[in-house]
Amino acid sequence: MEAAQKKDEVGKSSFSDYDYSNFYYGAGDDPLNLLVPFAEWYAEARPNGYYLYQEPVQSAPTTRVRVKNNKTGAVQELINLASYNYLGISYRDEVKQAAIEAVQRYGLGASGSPILSGTFDVHDELSRAVARFKDKEACVLFPTGYSANVGFISAMMRSGDTIFCDQYSHASIVDGAILAKSKTVFFRHNNPMDLERKLTGVRGKKMVVVEGVYSMDGDICVLPEIVEVAKRHGARILIDEAHSTFLFGPNGRGVAEHFGLDKEVDFHLGTFSKSLGGQGGFVCGSKKLTDYVNAFGRSRFFSCNLAPPVAAGLVAGLRIVDDEPQLRAKLWSNVAFLRRRFAEEGVDIGKSNSQVMPVMVNNDAKVFAVAEKVQDRGLFLQPVTYPAVPKHKSRLRISVSAAHSEEELETAVQVIAGVLREEGLCKA
Amino acid sequence: MQGLTRYGFRQAASGFFEFPTENARRILPSHIEPVELHHGSSIFSLTAFDFSESMVGPYGEVVMSVIVSPLVKPGKPLPKSAFYPYLVATTTRAAREHAIERWHLPHWMADVEITFTDGERDVTARVRADGEPVAEMTIGDYEWHPVSHLYQSFMHDADGTYLASITMEGEHSEHEEETGRLKLFEHPFNKQLTLSEVSEVPFREMWMRKGLQTFEPLVQLETA
Repeated sequence: MEAAQKKDEVGKSSFSDYDYSNFYYGAGDDPLNLLVPFAEWYAEARPNGYYLYQEPVQSAPTTRVRVKNNKTGAVQELINLASYNYLGISYRDEVKQAAIEAVQRYGLGASGSPILSGTFDVHDELSRAVARFKDKEACVLFPTGYSANVGFISAMMRSGDTIFCDQYSHASIVDGAILAKSKTVFFRHNNPMDLERKLTGVRGKKMVVVEGVYSMDGDICVLPEIVEVAKRHGARILIDEAHSTFLFGPNGRGVAEHFGLDKEVDFHLGTFSKSLGGQGGFVCGSKKLTDYVNAFGRSRFFSCNLAPPVAAGLVAGLRIVDDEPQLRAKLWSNVAFLRRRFAEEGVDIGKSNSQVMPVMVNNDAKVFAVAEKVQDRGLFLQPVTYPAVPKHKSRLRISVSAAHSEEELETAVQVIAGVLREEGLCKA
Repeated sequence: MQGLTRYGFRQAASGFFEFPTENARRILPSHIEPVELHHGSSIFSLTAFDFSESMVGPYGEVVMSVIVSPLVKPGKPLPKSAFYPYLVATTTRAAREHAIERWHLPHWMADVEITFTDGERDVTARVRADGEPVAEMTIGDYEWHPVSHLYQSFMHDADGTYLASITMEGEHSEHEEETGRLKLFEHPFNKQLTLSEVSEVPFREMWMRKGLQTFEPLVQLETA
């Protein structure tokens, strides 16, 4: 037959035929079986773009950073569009000074679990400050944002319960649900109608988990509709405000406050690594709630507590957030500027309506070439591709900061739009 | 010894749909592990073929599968993914008998009707069994590129568990735009699925045209 003459042997595939998802599952009789295929693939993938990940930064994550290029070894001075640090706080003198003093006083680490010897006065001060800021009775701290979701969800939910997660939920939410051993149901992204369909007829304890701002698309949760559906079905609501605490709402408490739903949402979770540029996570709520989580949040009490210098720096950072609401205004002004300029240049930023701004490349084959050119022309930001986002939805993810100057943002627009045009990915 | 077996096709349209892992486990033999897209959520796939050339002539085929963990062996090519076809149906008896004898595939034991309707940028495959509708799936295109992709297919019957390595070559389009649709009808054909829990929207749509499907000789696996 004609077709049979095409080929007699299995063709060798190029590295671009594969991605991380191909190396996760592999049946066989040795857990090491996937190592060699992955190593062979990565040896090709790294020089072809994956080297752009984990490039060592050699300076503070301000709006300008020194980065060692993983491919050439050269150190580049780049405009930083990749670090969270949405309010530009982590490198402020007051924050650094507080951390330095804490190092002098406490040394490096907490040297213990928070429920044993690892809670210091500075931790209590931080949790009180966060509770006050969030206008909640109490706050419980976690060593990372990841552990906050994992620890909180698994503290509250059990086998036989049902957790409803947005399909774009952060891995920490998914892992919390796994640890809880609850049935996990995913609803379509930001889709209250699908949530309604999934909730219908489900009995027992139910928790709906959403995020204030979704980290890959930068879109805001449609919280009013989600709350209405969840309440009608008797489900409790957890909002992860990792990317929205200290930014959204009249007082910066988050997206729940932004929508006037602070009291309607049952559980408020946040992180210190995004807006404050620090480390750690927290859950706010009633004293009864935080006492319970303190007792059953395994990721918290089986970890060492936050390093006291970090906690001290966060206390200072939170003071800045309180004292300088103009930082939020500056951030939103920068976001508006960048949105307008990208629109004028025909650059697609997807569904973003926050400081998380994806530059949609929408071309898995070209995203690394685009990212490489962008870095060579002076910008620090990483490509995001499948499986972190759906196929053909590759992007460069920008984190806008209040610290960016308009000149820096304008340079970023010129570089990005120019590269996209060269690659035929943006109209002239 | 059996050599390579080739099937030329005009088109092969495939949709990947989320469905509960517990449903996947009900379908699979205990020693074959379903892939999870999310925790608790596995992947049902429906593929409709329009074969133009084969040892048994032209025919249509629909393959109902669960996506499973591929078998990886050092030094062997890495498959793109692996399937466990739990029900195959063909439009001709000759094709059915050929596939049962050669590939140990579980079949719907009567001819089915499969029609393909080409849209401007999509194709709709309709499957009917016993004169009743079974499935209707629409798959859209994205960009077309020539590919050669290796897949694995696991089969299991009273005699044992088997692995077929299959190379799919041809023009290929793949995307996750969620533009396709699936309607599964209440019918004994679909009895292994909890229909209300199978997503009606494919999270991935794959479409191949003018291609060649090549089976390497079947391998019997040792299982506990």
